[in-house]
Amino acid sequence: MKKTIFIIIAYLSCVAMQTQASAQCSDEVFLRRAYLTVTGSMPSAQTAAKFLDDESENKRERLISRLLNSELCFKYMQMRWGDILRIKSEFPSNLWPNGVQAYNRWVYEHLMNNTPYDQMVRDLLLSEGSNFRAPAVNFYRGFQKRSPENFYANINLLFLGNRKCSDNGHLCFSQVKFKSTKEWKEEIIYLDIHKSVPTQRIVLGDGTTLSPKQDTDWREEYVRWLTSPDNRRFAEVMVNRMWYWVFGRGIVHEPDDWRADNKPSDPALLARLTDYFIKNNFDIKKLMKKILLSKQFASKAAPEGFYTPQRLPAEVIVDALASVTGIWNTYNSRVPEPFTFYPPRTRATHLGDATVSSTELELFGKVSRDVSLEGQRNNSISARQLLYLMNSTVLEQRIRKSGILKKICEENTTLPQLADAITLRILSRRATAREKQMYEKYMQQNSLTLRDLAIDMVWTQINSNEFLYNH
Amino acid sequence: MRKIYLTLALLLAIVFGADAQRAKSVILIYLDGGPSQTDTFDPKPDTSRDYYGSYKGVAKTNVEGIEIGEKLPLLAGMADKYSLIRSMTHGSNAHETGHYAMITGDTSGGAIVYPSFGTVISYMKRDTYKGVLPCYVSVTSANSRFNEGGFLGNEYKSFDTGGRPEKTEYEVEGIVNKFVDREGLNRRMSLLAEFETLPMDKHEIDSLRAVNMEFIWGESREVFNLANEPDSIRQRYGMTRLGQSCLTARRLVEAGVPFVNVRTTGWDTHKKHFQFMNSMLPNLDKAVSALLADLDSRGLLDSTIVLCGGEFGRSPKIMWEPPWNGGRAHFGATFSYLVAGGGFHGGKVVGKTNKTGEKVVERPVRPCDLIGTVYMLLGIDPYGTLPHVSEGELPILPSLLDKKQSGGLLYEIIDIKKPDYEK
Repeated sequence: MKKTIFIIIAYLSCVAMQTQASAQCSDEVFLRRAYLTVTGSMPSAQTAAKFLDDESENKRERLISRLLNSELCFKYMQMRWGDILRIKSEFPSNLWPNGVQAYNRWVYEHLMNNTPYDQMVRDLLLSEGSNFRAPAVNFYRGFQKRSPENFYANINLLFLGNRKCSDNGHLCFSQVKFKSTKEWKEEIIYLDIHKSVPTQRIVLGDGTTLSPKQDTDWREEYVRWLTSPDNRRFAEVMVNRMWYWVFGRGIVHEPDDWRADNKPSDPALLARLTDYFIKNNFDIKKLMKKILLSKQFASKAAPEGFYTPQRLPAEVIVDALASVTGIWNTYNSRVPEPFTFYPPRTRATHLGDATVSSTELELFGKVSRDVSLEGQRNNSISARQLLYLMNSTVLEQRIRKSGILKKICEENTTLPQLADAITLRILSRRATAREKQMYEKYMQQNSLTLRDLAIDMVWTQINSNEFLYNH
Repeated sequence: MRKIYLTLALLLAIVFGADAQRAKSVILIYLDGGPSQTDTFDPKPDTSRDYYGSYKGVAKTNVEGIEIGEKLPLLAGMADKYSLIRSMTHGSNAHETGHYAMITGDTSGGAIVYPSFGTVISYMKRDTYKGVLPCYVSVTSANSRFNEGGFLGNEYKSFDTGGRPEKTEYEVEGIVNKFVDREGLNRRMSLLAEFETLPMDKHEIDSLRAVNMEFIWGESREVFNLANEPDSIRQRYGMTRLGQSCLTARRLVEAGVPFVNVRTTGWDTHKKHFQFMNSMLPNLDKAVSALLADLDSRGLLDSTIVLCGGEFGRSPKIMWEPPWNGGRAHFGATFSYLVAGGGFHGGKVVGKTNKTGEKVVERPVRPCDLIGTVYMLLGIDPYGTLPHVSEGELPILPSLLDKKQSGGLLYEIIDIKKPDYEK
């Protein structure tokens, strides 16, 4: 009897899960979700209109492919990597502006060239040379306390998801040395190759024994073990991180807290994706594409579907507010020297340096890159953030001064046209009939001009959940 | 009569025990860039022009034996209200590490990034502070050299007012929006309520929006409205950014805000040092003296700690040579802090520097000692802990536990007795 009930329940939950996953989101939602997830930016009104009016079958797949090969994608992923690599001029990484620039470029090029993940990690960990000329060495510089133990703890966290490591693999990093040069803030990271090999046996967490040879780079043996396809955890951590970047929740969660008692929520899914990733030689772009074309990514938002809405990251909200009004913030940093001035219209998602910030970015929780944990990004909504959107003079002025919004008002002289144009710009969809009625009533009741209505419409939409969340 | 008061005080102390803290609020007047201690609170008139520059004398204060810089005559008239720490030291000559040390009480170099003490206080009061105004307010902007949230995250960081308090209209970000009146905002809110169809966090967001409406139109708006203040008082603080920021701080403290950070910039005087001092010190003198007097006359000084200083001091030796041509460099070996109110005694000097002011010769005070004493006066255990996301409970002031990093809490200028285990 018990068994029968169990089987029925199991069957029913299977059915429920299937329907949950198969409840597909609309084209409007898919477009916005794909853009925000892959590029951290909203589609333009024109792009949105074009996509919505496109009737071809494979338009979603074509969209994903196009986005994955766009500059905006590389730059946005560069931000994700920058967060966990703690790319920052000042305290506590202290990489200095030149180092930050070089390091970011290194990340960007690997993403653009779609360097296989294992190769990228090898380049990073086996680096040597000047922090300005061999950018990957900044990995070793970005520590307040530069010790083999700290390097090793960070490697464990980043690539194996271990928050605690109890083995002595750090010995493989004990040859790393630093030498200053006469150039301001330039430093050479080199290996003390003639150091005598450790007398201690190096035994890694899984029982593997390493025996580094005299007069060689001891890191090599460790990195070979780390990045090998046989070390399944290495691939799993990246697969899970990508899942986390897309859905805001890892299959193993937190994505950097792998423990025997922290089980994956869907082991079969993790295994499938990991097999795929290894089989495709650690191809990051293919992995991302696989996830973006999954039924989970195309599902409706919870509770109807799988997708859990996520408040947009700070940089993305700030950029979205700028692109709605067409009035962009200017970013600069006068500390530390040399002064950094970003070109006009630089996106917050592209800043690349956690030292450069603004009140707006701080308000929405820009990551300060003090630690390599994904959880450092706080995307919860707060009263102060809503206060800013509701009643900020700065934001209000931007809406009122916006040349683009003025132009939209001039070009769309009827309420339905205006509502469509503004909603396409802010929410990547056209206004619904209900909304148009609502605006009509609102305009009449308060005897507003179309221009006044437009301003309140913009205010309403940027205050709405639909704007603030990826849903 | 005095005896009766003393007995009464003693009785009260017994009844409420050692936990009866007096301080309810803190005002930090932060002189960003690093002010010169020898031109302010630790003058060295007996040195040569290479140290004392264009200044000739000192200002004798109303407390026998205490002298301060000649450009601070108003503060000199009220030295009984504050004490001076002349032996502050952390040894760091870089802005970022100096700030970090001074604002967190931690020493840089560890793997853990500590939160600022304003953030810590805001965190500690999270359950007890019930005001509409934020627990931690920065007038007009926060310190920007590192993330003040540290490992406590962003939630407890300061509310930055933005705007210009010295102007006719102090446009406090999020509160004063001159384009939209009450009716206009109500109208928009009703449109938004009708527009909103997505359900996520709806309950929470609705209640947060309601809290904001209260915040915008309630008491806070009036607290920030400096026009409510008599003109004579505004003038007394000085119609400068610093002066009106200090006035705002008083109004915030009066409304019950636990921590106010008044940040004033321009103290990083590598060049034209004396020209800058001649214009900035009178403003500082005016603002801080007015604040102390005002707090005192309202009976608020007893419950409000006032701190004034920067991330470090400036080199007592003047760089006359080009390119500085009369500047002072960063200096972390010695610097001064003014402390007043909230249980800090007035009319005392802590510590001593040598003849030129370049070395601490008596009673070094580290940032953790000052911050720990502030915690104690607020009823926060300076030896307590804070939760870290991955490291568990961490000491609130790790440096305080290390004899090499701490000169000891400032028991000599507060009423709390040094416990036996610290002796």
